[in-house]
Amino acid sequence: MRIICPLCGERGAEEFVYHGDATVRRPHPDSSAETWNAYVHLRDNPAGRHSELWYHAAGCHAWLVVERDVRTHEIFAVTLAQDVALARRPVTA
Amino acid sequence: MVEIGLLSRSPLAAVLQPGHYGQPGQDGLVVQERTGLHIVNLAARRGQGGALAVAVQRSWGLELPTTPRRAGDGRLAFLWSGGAQWLAIAEGTGDLELSLKDRLGSLASLTDQSDGRSVLRLSGSRTRETLAKGLAIDLHPRAFTPGDTALTLAGHIGVQIWQLDDTPSYEIAVARGYAGSLIGWLLPAGEEFGITVLPPG
Repeated sequence: MRIICPLCGERGAEEFVYHGDATVRRPHPDSSAETWNAYVHLRDNPAGRHSELWYHAAGCHAWLVVERDVRTHEIFAVTLAQDVALARRPVTA
Repeated sequence: MVEIGLLSRSPLAAVLQPGHYGQPGQDGLVVQERTGLHIVNLAARRGQGGALAVAVQRSWGLELPTTPRRAGDGRLAFLWSGGAQWLAIAEGTGDLELSLKDRLGSLASLTDQSDGRSVLRLSGSRTRETLAKGLAIDLHPRAFTPGDTALTLAGHIGVQIWQLDDTPSYEIAVARGYAGSLIGWLLPAGEEFGITVLPPG
């Protein structure tokens, strides 16, 4: 599998480290124990398209959100995790 | 007060002796340890990337690269080294860190890496073939040209490589603790092409 790093270009999977599901969102600190349990432990395991966090450990050290098909390794999109997080952040005046 | 003098010693002194190695009569790879380099890592402070580029342009007339490129020359160069990070590399006796601190002020965090990295200059007609044995990125002239740089692995060791010219010649920076291991991969890789190791310079 090869990942196109938005900063470095196309690199082999050996340069990256998988860091988990990119779809989970950290709950509010006051959330219930059940919500926290789900955030920490419960994961979907889709056969097909998924959104994952990868870290370019042997390159530019950027965190990436990789949209890929976990059955075929086809990659649909790679985005800097920083940009994904900034886009999610509520706009403040 | 007791004065403590620290001696600067190359991690390569024991493993990279000047001479000829491998295939007799051939010079496919020429290796030289670079000495006397000042290396400083710059990380732009949040939201200051634009102002930093302006300050570098104003102070040294160089365009701070926003893609994996090197701007400048042997006297002073800025190498892209990750998102909003650069390596400044200079030759000579001046204090690079102080000079950067004076001109870039609070726009970037500076970390002196002069003793943290070893830099090798690689040249010779078979340099690409040698590197291809352990460096997975494409160094073909179509894909990697003078001024290009990359953060990647060489012999499973994290390195930053940049191309100087078309001969082709490259420089490769490695964390000093790994410099001996990199040589342990590089010399056997180049043996079949014949290697000349030049005195450090």
